[in-house]
Amino acid sequence: MRRARKIKVDHNSEFELDLAPLLAVMVKLVPVLLISSAFVQMMVIETQLPQVVSQAIERQDQQPNPKTLSLEIDQKDGIHIVVTEKGKEKVETVPMKNGGFDFDTLHAKLVTVKKTHPEIFKIEISPSGSVPYKEIVRIMDEARQARDNSVKFPVFDTKQGKDVETNYMFPEIIFANTMEG
Amino acid sequence: MSRRRRAEFDTKKKSTFALNITSMTDMFTILLVFLLQSYSTAEVQLTPESEIRLPTSASFTNPTMAIKLSLSGTALKMDETKIADIKNNTFLPKDLEDSDTNFIKPLFQELDKLAKASPEEKHIKEGRILLQADRELPYSTLRKVMYTASMAGFPQLKLVTLVGE
Repeated sequence: MRRARKIKVDHNSEFELDLAPLLAVMVKLVPVLLISSAFVQMMVIETQLPQVVSQAIERQDQQPNPKTLSLEIDQKDGIHIVVTEKGKEKVETVPMKNGGFDFDTLHAKLVTVKKTHPEIFKIEISPSGSVPYKEIVRIMDEARQARDNSVKFPVFDTKQGKDVETNYMFPEIIFANTMEG
Repeated sequence: MSRRRRAEFDTKKKSTFALNITSMTDMFTILLVFLLQSYSTAEVQLTPESEIRLPTSASFTNPTMAIKLSLSGTALKMDETKIADIKNNTFLPKDLEDSDTNFIKPLFQELDKLAKASPEEKHIKEGRILLQADRELPYSTLRKVMYTASMAGFPQLKLVTLVGE
């Protein structure tokens, strides 16, 4: 009888992992990723909305006398929030604070307006000629979405046949005075 | 003398050695993770203009294919081509229509030319414009661009902003 040869396994032996193929893959990947990387992230402001909100905007357009919300922005007087309902205008003013616009008060007032009129999604802004572009962008940010994620507004979803919640306030922004002379 | 001879002997000796690439692999792994983080999947790659300081916004909408306009404190450009000059944050009177000071003649001509050259392209058909404008410019200057673009059949204006609070 031949005795089976005993294989000796040395559990304490060390071996070096060959990293060369891994490095070769990485060397090829790095230039590819370098080309397609965006080091400065740029986005756009536009109205891309969830389906439910888009439908609500359409419903608002179909109404014969829709409620409208507009902002008149001036560097001296501040921001006037005008809500027009059945031909009647209700104006609220956000005065200037320390030489600049009071964005916190503006946001709080817009949240209140949205809570009172959840069916309004469109906002018309009319800045005066001297208002800097960065201030207009900031005002758009304040109007688009509620800062506090816990604040939700009801929107009627026609597909589900019930109210759903969104934190969008006035996502459709229109420059109302662009075509004025 | 004896020391020099010994040194010569060492260099002449033929030997192979394994390069330790572990640290280099470490470095590449970190680089790869960083590049993967900044990998952009946007449809359109926008190049920031050196003269323009864009405003920051909380918007997270990726740019789509559109005509690219850039408005700095010195010039209005379409892609890389200068269309009109700007001085003291306003357009020069020679570029504006006499009867309508909101109308920028060279911009209208360029947009009209594009609209006629390729009317079937989706972004031209829908009238989309990507506007990169300096954050310090007054609304009166921007309004002229908006007005002219709207008159040329480009009402969908998308304002390019930087990500930030």
